[in-house]
Parts: sequence; C-alpha cells; structure tokens
Amino acid sequence: MKEKLIKNDLLKEEYYEIDHDSGLKIFVMEKPDYNGAYALFGTKYGSVDTCFKLKNDENYTTVPEGIAHFLEHKLFESEELDAFERFAVTGANANAYTSFDRTCYLFQCSGEFEKNLEILLDFVKAPYFTEETVQKEQGIIGQEIRMYQDSPDWQVLFNLLRGMYSKNPVRIDIAGTIESIAEINAELLYSCYNTFYNLSNMALAVAGNVKKETVLSIVDRVIKKEEPVEFQQIIPEEPKEIAESYIEETLGVDMPKFALGFKETHTEPVRTAMETLVMNLALDIIAGKVSPLYSKMLSDGLINTSFGKEYFTGRGFAAPMFMGESNSPEKVKEEILKEIDRIRTEGIRDEDFEVSLKKLYGAEVFAYNDVDDLANNLIDAYFNNHSLFDTIELYKEIKKEDVEKTISDSFREEYCCLSVIR
Amino acid sequence: MEIKRISEGVSLAFHKTERFKTSVVSVSLICPLDEKSSERALLCYLLSRTSRSYPDIISMNRRLASLYGAVISPNVQKIGESQVLTLSLVMVDDRFSLDKKAISEEGVRLLMDCIFSPDITPDGFKEENVEREKRLLIERIESEKDEKRIYALNRMVEEMCKDESYGIHKYGNKEKIASLSGKDVFAEWKKILTTSPVQINAVGSFDMDKIESITSSYFDRLQRKRADIIEIRTEFLTESYDSKTVRETQKVKQGKLVIGMRAGMTFDFDNYPAIRLMTAIFGGGTFSKLFMNVREKMSLCYYCAARLVASKGLITVESGVETENAEKALTAIRNELDEVRKGNFTDETLENAKKSLIDTFNSVEDSVIGIDSFMTSQCLSGTFRTPGEYAELLENVSREEIIIAANMVTEDTVYILESEKEDNE
Repeated sequence: MKEKLIKNDLLKEEYYEIDHDSGLKIFVMEKPDYNGAYALFGTKYGSVDTCFKLKNDENYTTVPEGIAHFLEHKLFESEELDAFERFAVTGANANAYTSFDRTCYLFQCSGEFEKNLEILLDFVKAPYFTEETVQKEQGIIGQEIRMYQDSPDWQVLFNLLRGMYSKNPVRIDIAGTIESIAEINAELLYSCYNTFYNLSNMALAVAGNVKKETVLSIVDRVIKKEEPVEFQQIIPEEPKEIAESYIEETLGVDMPKFALGFKETHTEPVRTAMETLVMNLALDIIAGKVSPLYSKMLSDGLINTSFGKEYFTGRGFAAPMFMGESNSPEKVKEEILKEIDRIRTEGIRDEDFEVSLKKLYGAEVFAYNDVDDLANNLIDAYFNNHSLFDTIELYKEIKKEDVEKTISDSFREEYCCLSVIR
Repeated sequence: MEIKRISEGVSLAFHKTERFKTSVVSVSLICPLDEKSSERALLCYLLSRTSRSYPDIISMNRRLASLYGAVISPNVQKIGESQVLTLSLVMVDDRFSLDKKAISEEGVRLLMDCIFSPDITPDGFKEENVEREKRLLIERIESEKDEKRIYALNRMVEEMCKDESYGIHKYGNKEKIASLSGKDVFAEWKKILTTSPVQINAVGSFDMDKIESITSSYFDRLQRKRADIIEIRTEFLTESYDSKTVRETQKVKQGKLVIGMRAGMTFDFDNYPAIRLMTAIFGGGTFSKLFMNVREKMSLCYYCAARLVASKGLITVESGVETENAEKALTAIRNELDEVRKGNFTDETLENAKKSLIDTFNSVEDSVIGIDSFMTSQCLSGTFRTPGEYAELLENVSREEIIIAANMVTEDTVYILESEKEDNE
C-alpha cells in the first residue's frame, strides 16, 4: 500500500492519497471540525461508453443508449435487502448519479459512518440483476425520461449536443430513450458491470469528520483484491465540423431558451487543470457578470439573469457554452461573436483580466466549504488526471496571453451551434 | 447562536465559526403577503443590483469581483404568510484573501448601501432601472411556469389557498408588476424600512462587534419606532372544509399530480415533531411508504414525495405520472396515508424516519447556507431551538403521537396536469 499526504499552504488544507492493495484508489480529507461526512464511490463509466470489449474477447459489444444510468439504478437492488433499505437503518442520505463519463454512488451522514461506508462499498461491489427486476425499472426510468422531455433546460442542452456532434456518444441522452431502455436485459448489465466496475477503473473519496485509519480498515475488510481488467473501446471518430449550426424545437414555453456552443477539437481526451482555468477565464472575460457585454445585453433587454456560461467538458468532448433565456437568441449569438472578434483584435485589457482572475479565485476558495463539494472535487480531479490543489496554485502563474490565445483559437464561428427552445 | 436587538424590530444573529472558507451576512425584511407583494418583490431585485456609489451593473459587479468574487444575491421567499425579502452577501473569509485584507467590513458596507443608499432621484427609483427589473421579474415568472413541477405545485397552492393570503404568489403578479413606476417602488421602500421587522444573520470568523457597529449605524439614521413595526400572523386552517379537484390540460409528455392537505396544526410549532415524522414515514425519503410502494412496487413514477410546510400547516404530495395512471396513483397515495393513520407502519420504519431526520438536523451546521437559513427560520417562528434540540424532540416522539398526527390530516385540493393527446405518438 502506498500513501501520500498532500498539503496546500494557501488553503491550509490537506488530504491523503492512497493506493490500496486491492487496486482501489482512495482519497481521504479529514475535517474534524465538521459534524458529518460524505463518501463517494465512483467509476469512470458513463453514457458515452457505448461500445467496448474485454481485452481477450473477440467481438465488441454495442450496448443500448442509457445503460450506464440503468445500471446505476439497478445496483441498489440485491437478493436480500436493497441498498436504500440498508441505508435507512443508519439514517444516512444515500444517492447516485450518472453523467456522460462517470457513475458515482454516495452518502452523506452525521453518524454511523463506518456502517454506511461498509454498505456503500458492499452494494456497489455486489451486482444482482434478474429479468424481473430489470422490467420493473423500465417503468420508473421511463417516467424519469418523460420528466426530462418536458424540461426546457435539459432539452436545449441535448439539442445543442446533437447539433455539435454527429458521431460522439455525448450526443445521446444520459438516460437513453423509452425504446432503447426496453432493449436492456440482465446479461447486458453484467457485461457492462464486469468491464467498468473493476477496482482499477474506480476511486473512493471521503471528506468530513473521519479518520483515514477508519476508512482504510473498512476497505481492508470489505474490498477484495482484484486483478486489473483491461478493456478496449471503439470511440467513433468525430469530425471537426459541427452537424448543424442551428436547431430549434417547440415546447410551447413562455420564455424561449437558448444554448450556444463552440465545438473544440483536442488530441488528448481530457483537459488539463490549466486548460480548464484558462477557458473559464476566457468565458468570464467575454460575457461574465463583470464584462461590458453582459451589462449591455442586460440593459438592451437581450438576456436576463438566467444567463450563464460553462466549459462543458469531459472524457472525449470539450465545448465552451453560453446559455440562458432570450426573445432574440440569434441577436445574442451575434453580440457574443462581435465581442469575441473585438477581443481577438484589441486583446484583453489588464484591468479586465485582473478583475476576472480575482472573481474566479474567490469561487475556487468557495469550493472548499462543504464536504460534498470536497469529495466530488477529489474524484473529479483524479478522473481528469490531475490533483485537487492544482487549480488554486495555477492562479499565481496564469498569463493574460494564454487566455487571449484560447479566445482566438476556440471560439470560431464555423464551429458554433445555436440551439433554441420556443 | 447569539442574538442581539440592534434597533426597534431589528435583530442581529451571530454564528461565529472558523469552519468555513467563506462568510455570509444576510439581511431579511419581513413583510406581509398582500396586494403590495409585487412592489416589494421588484424592490428586492432592484436593490440588489446597484447602489448610489455603484450606479450601474458593471461597476457594482466589478466592485464585488474585486472583493475576491463576493456575491450579493436577492431572494424573495414565502414563509408562512410572510413575504421575506433577503439580500445576502457571500464572500471569501478574511483569512483567505490573497493580500490578507479585512474585506468583510467593506463587503458589509456595500451590502448595507444597496439597501439604504440606492441610486434614486427625488422622485423615486430611476425609471430605466425600474423598467429593466420589471422585465427581469416578469421573465422570471414566465420561466418558472415552463418548469412543470414548480408550475403544478404553484397552481395547487393557488387553488387551495384562494381565500388566504398564502394563495398570493411570492412575486405578486405579472400585470401588477408591469404597471409599476419608480415612484410606487420608492414609496414601498420608504415604508418597509421603517415598519418591517428585520432579521440580520452573520456567519463567519469576522469580528462580530465590527459587524454590529456597521449594521446598526444604518438603522440608527432611520429612527424606527416600536409602534410602527408591523406584526404578521399566519392563518392556520386546521382542517379542509371543501375538498376539490382541479384539472388542466397542456402539451406535456408527463402529467403531474399534486395533492394539498391541511396538516391539522394551529401554529408552526404545534405538533411539529410528530407531524414532521409522520410526513417522513408517509413520503419523505427512500424508506417512506410513497417511495417504497408507489414508485418501487407499482413502478408508477420516478418521484412521489410528501413535504411538510410547517410555516402554514400544509402537507403537499407531488408526483410525475402518465395521465392515464393519475387516478391509480391518487388512490395509491390515499391508501398509504390511511395505512399511516391506522398505524400500519413498522417500528423499523419509524426508527428509520427518526434517524433520517435527526441526521438532517445534525448536518445543518456543516454548511454556511444551512446555518444562515436555519437561523432565519428560527428567528421568524420565534422558536430559537438548536439543531440538537430538534433532534432530541424527534427522538422522543411515540408511535401513538404519529398516529394522532396522521388522523388530523385532511385532504384539501387535488391538482392534476394532464397531457394533451398527441397524434404523432
């Protein structure tokens, strides 16, 4: 077992990074002055992982859309008590989520941490699927899909993804469709499980009022050593070009929604901490609350306070985005493109750079408040091949020129798509 | 928590802690829900955006950014029959500013200036600012209607509490907002500063004496008089007198079912521990009857949950279901409540509900926002209990008390949003 204590002087924070003998990566951040704790057990497996095989298998399996999310639901079930019933006894608040590139199981509790961690590790490592329980879940998830179909915020994002990407599975809905989940059966679930839920593809992050030794003793007891599983995936080659530059759907909303994305092409599947920080600064300088453009669009009645921006990125995809509500989304797009052009020719003013830098630094510090954020950020950093404190240190070395270059390179009109819900 | 009265009707609650990297100061003006709610909702947003010293959005936002990304956010809430207008300041704690400057005092002055020194002319708020905020608030109301879960819940409350102040939307209404002028809002601003009860919360590591002297200096100038401070009472209807069903049809993929019940409470802390536990057993978590039966066994929905609104003595049940299953779900939900009334729940379920709620109360102090809103709710209801005291009260509730509480619940309004049949499906 290998163990490191990683410290940060600026934040006065530290955490342990442990390579457990079982093959599991573990992060523990001890916060003795908190009442509770939060634990997250995750795998690098999400909705984009649609075609794969184990190293020694002959053929690739293409799985139905939405299966990672379906698997997440089903893992809570077991031959005896299901996981929710087991957590009910301790009073912990348990949940799980599936995103494009990961699935995470979690609990938050203020007492009985040891028992809760044992349940979490145990149920995730004990799959139990039968045809009957699979069928039951199709009804529940069917309603979850329906619910999202009525959500304009969700639809505007997925329409944008379908507009930007023609092959990359990031374009498919995380929960799949009513039709695709009807194809899911126990055998397919086991095949996904056996490929992606190997310890070498997973990590455990814990933050809160716990001791590293406690976490390790439970892992020692519950988790059995696993030989790493090697798998191969077919990731469809995505063209540089966008599929559509404009997508509109009518849901009959009172306030039209829009999302504007700029498709990026990278050779590496995940972004570095520096690339992410540079892009977040770029977005803030272009249209953040401190920017002249934001004020102008707000005064001109083009946007409202729902306007936001995000670096939408994960394994295999990256696109800066602007989203919000507007009666004239095309005009918003035009204004954003004009501002990007202006910055491209005139450069960023020192004052604008400093103000966004300070603002983002504050936001970064905010993220060290809550145990749930801490555990999620530990896993997030690890799955993106960096470590938790990397970003805060980068504030000292980041240069205005880096941001200018990103604005020049990544915000090209020809790679931009506008999605609108009316 | 330490509470001080700093002016007539103004209390300042401190929670000193070094646990967090950020601090919060929030100022809430407690107003009644009435025909002036539109003016006040608009006012809350208007005040949060600019001040006399920072009269435009960009200069205000840059000032905030220079304080390490401090944020001043407006929030309009309906708590019981009060309309609570809050401006809160969230900022990096002084210990973590890059140059180790005491930024909290500057931040608090900026917050207080927003409320007390807005950008006004002798005639009132500037029309251009008022027009901008009118548009933003109207768009916020429209956008809320587009989220069907919220829409259905609001419609149910509107129908159920038609003849009570609680039926008024927290933002007032669109038509009224559209008609307002800078003068109208100005008049309301002057009135509430001298007549509304005010609750200020401060959570962080800062010097509490400094925060007190800054905030109280603003109120000293007002000369608030005890006789002018309004008192707000929430009307509690202990049982339903006319149960009704309201149906609406829209082009939606999934229908919504919302049930409003009278919890049988006569004030917000009446039988709180028992009714809170009863709601949890009925539909408050994955161990609850609604989750285990209506979702897991019958597979009718993705969510089906009950929530207690203690500040008004209501219980709401929300679910998203296919329209053809709405009646089936309604029957199932009613059956589950009957089961609780008859005492048909295991001791284990009761223990689970207790543990879950106690865990929630024990976690309140793990987040700045949690502490802030807990303090506000305590001060509003005048109960002043700690999360630990709540946990203890819950622990001591008996099975009998839960059954009694369940039998005092009466169904009032059923709201069903049906999906219009589509040809293309």
